[in-house]
Amino acid sequence: MQNIELPLVLFTVLSQAAVGMALLLAVRSCGCAGGACATTPTIAGTGENAPGSRTEWLTATIVMGVALLASLFHLGHPEGAVRTMAHLEKAWLSREILAFGAFAALLAVAALTGKAGAGLRAAAALVGLVALYTSGMTYAPPAMPAVHNAAPLGFFLLSALLLGASFGSWFAGEGSQPMLRAVLLGSLAAALAVYVIVPCVWASGGTVMQMTARAWLASPLYWARLVLGIIVPLVVMIRSPRIPRWMGPLVLLGELAGRAVFFGATVHAAMNLGAPY
Amino acid sequence: MTTQKTSLPRQRAFLVDVERCIGCFTCAMACKNYYHQETGVVWRQLYPLDEAIYPHRERAFFSLACNHCENPACLNACPVKAYEKREDGVVVHHQDRCIGCGNCIRSCPYGAPRYNPVLKKAEKCSLCHERLDAGKQPACVQSCPVRALRLVDIAALSTTDAANAVQYPAGYPEMPQVNPSTRFIMPRTPRVVRR
Repeated sequence: MQNIELPLVLFTVLSQAAVGMALLLAVRSCGCAGGACATTPTIAGTGENAPGSRTEWLTATIVMGVALLASLFHLGHPEGAVRTMAHLEKAWLSREILAFGAFAALLAVAALTGKAGAGLRAAAALVGLVALYTSGMTYAPPAMPAVHNAAPLGFFLLSALLLGASFGSWFAGEGSQPMLRAVLLGSLAAALAVYVIVPCVWASGGTVMQMTARAWLASPLYWARLVLGIIVPLVVMIRSPRIPRWMGPLVLLGELAGRAVFFGATVHAAMNLGAPY
Repeated sequence: MTTQKTSLPRQRAFLVDVERCIGCFTCAMACKNYYHQETGVVWRQLYPLDEAIYPHRERAFFSLACNHCENPACLNACPVKAYEKREDGVVVHHQDRCIGCGNCIRSCPYGAPRYNPVLKKAEKCSLCHERLDAGKQPACVQSCPVRALRLVDIAALSTTDAANAVQYPAGYPEMPQVNPSTRFIMPRTPRVVRR
């Protein structure tokens, strides 16, 4: 197994949690636009007749801030981080930093003003999705055949939904709980299918893809992610009428383990030079 | 085995004659001696061909460094524009601009950029561009005792080289999107001599 790249694990998972929270907050807003659901936040909020308390925006902002802070530890020279947007015309990493920077700024505005109107909610969700897309492209380099495709984007989108629903339930009113439960249940089922099927697809691919499949399946972190991060929450959610408060930390642990496998066990094409591809 | 041509007016490249190479590592050592890389950091490496590709008692090797691709993955992935493609096709890494994000290392399918743990920056073969500019050969090319490594211009290959050179031999990832410039002359099947 290669280096698990802990700063990148923290950056991607936490940033996706923030995107998921903003995305599902916007979805909750749409669902409640006509006053169809009770919108009283469980934690003291803005008093507005719309989902999204100041505490929720603040939490998302802090999570995104920690993610950006963690990403600095990945750099050999963090003082040069301000120059990472110098290659927007070609480098997906530059675009990723720009998108997440804009996303963090929108979250911070909502948290500081405490008045996130429909426009700001929609903008945060939209920019968050764009940032998620740039992440999916950044971590799909040609050097890693197993993930040089839409797989990273799929993984990241699932992470955003799983974490967004789990942590969003801490702040959502009673009326939004069934929707969040449905999102979490659906995402868990999709994640189970994806994380079982994808290594099997790799196992039937080229040599480096097969090496990746073997490395993932041999990693205890992969199985921890599958059991603790997907199967246990799925079983609990099938039986439970609402999302338990401990679901967020459990899903987060699963996501961290899964991302460590993503960075640590995905095989680089150069590992097999001189042998059949 | 397909060969993709370059669309550039000039593309300097390594021509690796695997038939001639004896696996002596002189090219790798010459590079190391010239640039004094940190322990564990190598810009040129020899890769023995797997028996599944070359099933003979006699061994064959790929001597590989940076491929100075037409559309370099490292250059495209670098967020701080630390890479430059010169007019002669050489891909140069400007270490003073590098912030050590490792994105080039993750992106290059051939593993050319390496991480320098002391400087905390990436680095790679720049085809001895300062030697080229002074009219000299790259250190690895000059050192090869059997002339297995040559400097060529892909845009103006000789008829013989163009006929014999292979771009994607077995044991070397086929990446048309980056179009690596290194070319190979593959080894012949060894003759069995009966006494």
